[in-house]
Amino acid sequence: MECMNLLGVGVCAPDAEFRASLPFPAFAINRETIPPLLRRRSSQAMQMAFSAASAACEQAQRSPSSLPAIFASVAGEINTTDQICNELVKTDGVMSPSAFHNSVQNTAAGYWSIAQQCTQPATALAAGSDTLAMALLEAWCQLACQGGELLLVCYDEAWPGYLAPGCGNPAFAYALLLAAGKVDGRLMQISRPQVGESTFPAAWTDSVNSMPILAAIPLLEAALTGRGPQAIALSPHMPGWQVHAGAYE
Amino acid sequence: MRISPLISPVAVTAYQCVSAGGDDMDALYASLLANRPCLKPLTLFDIPFDTVVGEVTSALPDIRPDLKNYNSRNARLALKALEQGGFRTEVERAVACYGEARVGLILGTSTSGIYDSENAYARLQQDGVMPGDFYFTNVQTAQATAEFLQLELGLQGPCYAISTACSSSAKALAAAQRLIGTECCDAVLVAGVDSLCRLTLRGFNSLQLISADACRPMDAERQGINIGEGAALLLLEKPSIENTDRPRLLAVGESSDAHHMSAPHPEGLGAATAMAQALRLAGRDVSEVDYINLHATASTLNDLAEARAVASVFANPPPCSGVKGLLGHTLGAAGAVEVVVSLLALERGFLPGTCGLQMPDPECRFPLVTAPELNISPRLILSNAFGFGGNNASVLLEAA
Repeated sequence: MECMNLLGVGVCAPDAEFRASLPFPAFAINRETIPPLLRRRSSQAMQMAFSAASAACEQAQRSPSSLPAIFASVAGEINTTDQICNELVKTDGVMSPSAFHNSVQNTAAGYWSIAQQCTQPATALAAGSDTLAMALLEAWCQLACQGGELLLVCYDEAWPGYLAPGCGNPAFAYALLLAAGKVDGRLMQISRPQVGESTFPAAWTDSVNSMPILAAIPLLEAALTGRGPQAIALSPHMPGWQVHAGAYE
Repeated sequence: MRISPLISPVAVTAYQCVSAGGDDMDALYASLLANRPCLKPLTLFDIPFDTVVGEVTSALPDIRPDLKNYNSRNARLALKALEQGGFRTEVERAVACYGEARVGLILGTSTSGIYDSENAYARLQQDGVMPGDFYFTNVQTAQATAEFLQLELGLQGPCYAISTACSSSAKALAAAQRLIGTECCDAVLVAGVDSLCRLTLRGFNSLQLISADACRPMDAERQGINIGEGAALLLLEKPSIENTDRPRLLAVGESSDAHHMSAPHPEGLGAATAMAQALRLAGRDVSEVDYINLHATASTLNDLAEARAVASVFANPPPCSGVKGLLGHTLGAAGAVEVVVSLLALERGFLPGTCGLQMPDPECRFPLVTAPELNISPRLILSNAFGFGGNNASVLLEAA
């Protein structure tokens, strides 16, 4: 496989001020993307992931029900997990069955498959500050081995402040609908992620160091503003993971 | 005529496991042959109900000083497995052979270092702040133990965690096979690691799934599951003349139930798809499978869904058994732990029993192995792992 093709993008940034600071269009949470029965107990993480994923599918005009999905997140369902951990300390602490099964890292992946009636494989992965890079590598490997198309969704809700002071904000999610091989209507071609020396934009380095899921801002900017081919760093690490990506031809 | 596979096999050049069944492969083999539960009352912390667990009670090694921010029970379980039976030497050989950037690492875990987070939360409620030696991203987030192992071993290839509840480490094997198949890596260390914690014990209890006594997978009178812990490590390498004598990972089938967050599809549709997909990817026929290592948690819904799935895929099912009555359910580690059990079966020539099984559920319309079968040497084995979110994986292994 020479490259991955980007067919659709969705970006969700719940905080209006942060949204306005982004160099590309992003949207608030769209609760209509979550089936009513799932809406009441859904976390911010799941609401953002669904909002971004639905927008990417819509742009690419693809049905989510036939797409394998990769859900990537640094901290997963951190607020549900935090609530449980606080209860577990108490001698009379309450643990609800739904809080328990909604604390797993693949909560968004599981509910997405249920909501879309999608029986294709769904994966949930995490890789700290390399979460975006490893998610793109997993997408590359799946497309190179199996062909076709898939949905990659990266998201992190805001973390409770005391867990990692100064980190875990703002909440952010994005979805990329990716295809193997040459496809008409692509927004961008993306190479296999590799380790290199390309520099991460200084303006975003501090933000990404405190909220690693923001590492996609340069890649999203290139995709959504139609930049030509270039090396794009996937984290502030030096050397670090990068891709060559851009609007070819 | 054999159909050509859709994905290249990889060699399993080394494997190791620490669990309630013992600290190394010989101890695990002895436990499998003895087929008596390794489940005992929990000693690690207090819980407000009765059960038995598969706890690792032997001493765990200390994390070295420069990596102390990664200190967690999960990391120490992984380190213990690394030090058994020359496994670390095998990784060092792979690094010397391929270079550190060509060796990847994929962890499968469900709760990472949350046991240590729970202890930190006790201090939070007492003192109003988390303790100074608690490092959230080094302890609690899913990739923590993966990063620890990568630094401990000096690896520089791709490194991430897959966390899909109880299918996590089976899916880690799938991702590792793809990393090698796409030539992103020449070798990948796969680690399935989960440690006992209050969250999972009390969580499964809230779902009314915990058995007070040693569990009885596939038994008509099953009373629920027991939780265990463990660390299983597998070194996968691209096939070469050097490793023709090692067993092969042929393929991993993956699917989603798209049915319910914590209950399986009642007919086992997703489980059946995963098994069929593993065989399809490997270009093998159902008739070639010699043994199925069942997920068999001893929860009624899970056991029946899996039984129906096996019956739907196999017209003449091979012998089947499950080991959670021996080791407990090691959750995110279960996929890797039970693949290690399956590799032992391939290499030492036996079929594991189903510890705790007395009266097979009449819905299990396939040969269930109760006591270990020493006169059968399987060559092709399917090993199942199914998790919350309807997340299914089935691993197909072949003898060298």
